[in-house]
Amino acid sequence: MFIQIEPTSDIPIYTQLANQIIELIARGQLKGGDTLPSVRALASDLSVNMHTVNKSYHELEHKGIIRIVPKSGAIINPIVQEGITNENSRRIIEQLKPIIAEAIVLGMSPEVIQEQTTSILITLKGE
Amino acid sequence: MSLAIFLVTLAFLIVLQSAIPFLLKRTIVFGVTIPEEYAMDSSLASFRRKYSTIIFLSGAISLAALLLWSTNTSASENQLVLTGLAIQSGLLLLSMALYLYFHAKTTKLKQINNWGYGLKQIRIADLQSHAKDSMLPNFMYVLPMFVTVGLIVYTASQYSLLPDQIPTHWGPNGQPDAFSQKTPFSSIALLLMLLVLQVMMLGINVATKMSGVKLNSSRKKSSQLQQLAFRKYSSWFLLLTTILLTILFGFLQLTTIHGTLQNDTVMMALPLAFLVLMLVASAIYAFRVGQGGSRIAVSIAEEDTTSVSEDDMDDYWKLGVFYVNKQDPSIFVEKRFGVGWSINFGNPIGYFVLIGPIVLILLITFFA
Repeated sequence: MFIQIEPTSDIPIYTQLANQIIELIARGQLKGGDTLPSVRALASDLSVNMHTVNKSYHELEHKGIIRIVPKSGAIINPIVQEGITNENSRRIIEQLKPIIAEAIVLGMSPEVIQEQTTSILITLKGE
Repeated sequence: MSLAIFLVTLAFLIVLQSAIPFLLKRTIVFGVTIPEEYAMDSSLASFRRKYSTIIFLSGAISLAALLLWSTNTSASENQLVLTGLAIQSGLLLLSMALYLYFHAKTTKLKQINNWGYGLKQIRIADLQSHAKDSMLPNFMYVLPMFVTVGLIVYTASQYSLLPDQIPTHWGPNGQPDAFSQKTPFSSIALLLMLLVLQVMMLGINVATKMSGVKLNSSRKKSSQLQQLAFRKYSSWFLLLTTILLTILFGFLQLTTIHGTLQNDTVMMALPLAFLVLMLVASAIYAFRVGQGGSRIAVSIAEEDTTSVSEDDMDDYWKLGVFYVNKQDPSIFVEKRFGVGWSINFGNPIGYFVLIGPIVLILLITFFA
């Protein structure tokens, strides 16, 4: 279960980390109940500051994707089965909108946007 | 006798020192990261060859000269050993100078050729690395301490049996040649030193466990297997050292208490056996494991990743040998030029693990 970061990227490292972990969960490689490595272990493996990993774990906790249990560490929550909450749904659409708008402005046709979305879904869900 | 021991050690050092470029990962040449596809570049190969040849030849020639001189001279053994020491330091300086020279040349070569330029640099980690880590558990390092504590208690109970002069140094023939006045402290000074060493070894194991498993992004699976093997063998090597030290120090302490145990052959053979075992173990470690386990063969198909390149971390490696990264919580990191571990100079805990025990041992020697 590899994750990779790009230290020179414009995207902050803690966001890259959180994104990678979310992707592993979406793909089913990380399952509910699995534990993430300790902040120190992951930070030293990636040669990054412990605060960076900590920030990323807290972001994931804030989104309800993991829970941080004192002494046992960061534990993955199971994928939500009973449908997304209104609040989360609103947040995701809010984030999706500027990206789609940017794609249109930069000349991506609606068909390609649809196609890409479908292909991303296929790679993540393996359907 | 001491000359023979010395010459063997010197010969061993020459071989190991000259073999270093070939024990290292192909992608780190004289402390500079080289992308996988250029690692076999002909100028880099010639740098490696030159380094080895110069060290080996100058070492072999001076060793031969020393041997020749020792058979044709009336010089005392002490003088010969001193000359040998001079040769040893000379070789060390030579290898440092050569390293710096080739480090500069490799850095320049990388710049001129723009190696790795324009490639997206990434770092990689496995979320399960530490779960798969099979370094020896810390309690294994605590066990030898019981022996030491036991010996301290035993020494205290046999205090009246101890001689008035406690040996503090042993010559090459295994016989004590320096003594200090008998006091409760000096009678257990040797064991206290052993205890400090054992605590240091435990500290090194703990700190190594907490240090990162650094993977190579272009060979992630095989580099992980090699890294984990490297960590495992490092901890075995460390434990072997601890056990051998415990046997040696414990035996010396027992001979101090019970003069009758003193057997000239054993007294001479034991330190020698210790030396030979340590040399053999380091040779096996260096040649079989190699830098970061790079000599351990793994056959795993890797997916092709040519569009990205390993983050070279060159900026954090001052002169290619000193790792200074305040961000990285790792206490120890794998050496870049050599086999084994080095400290992260950006993390002060490493200083305490290594310098603390040395200071303590010096204090014990001073007051004993």
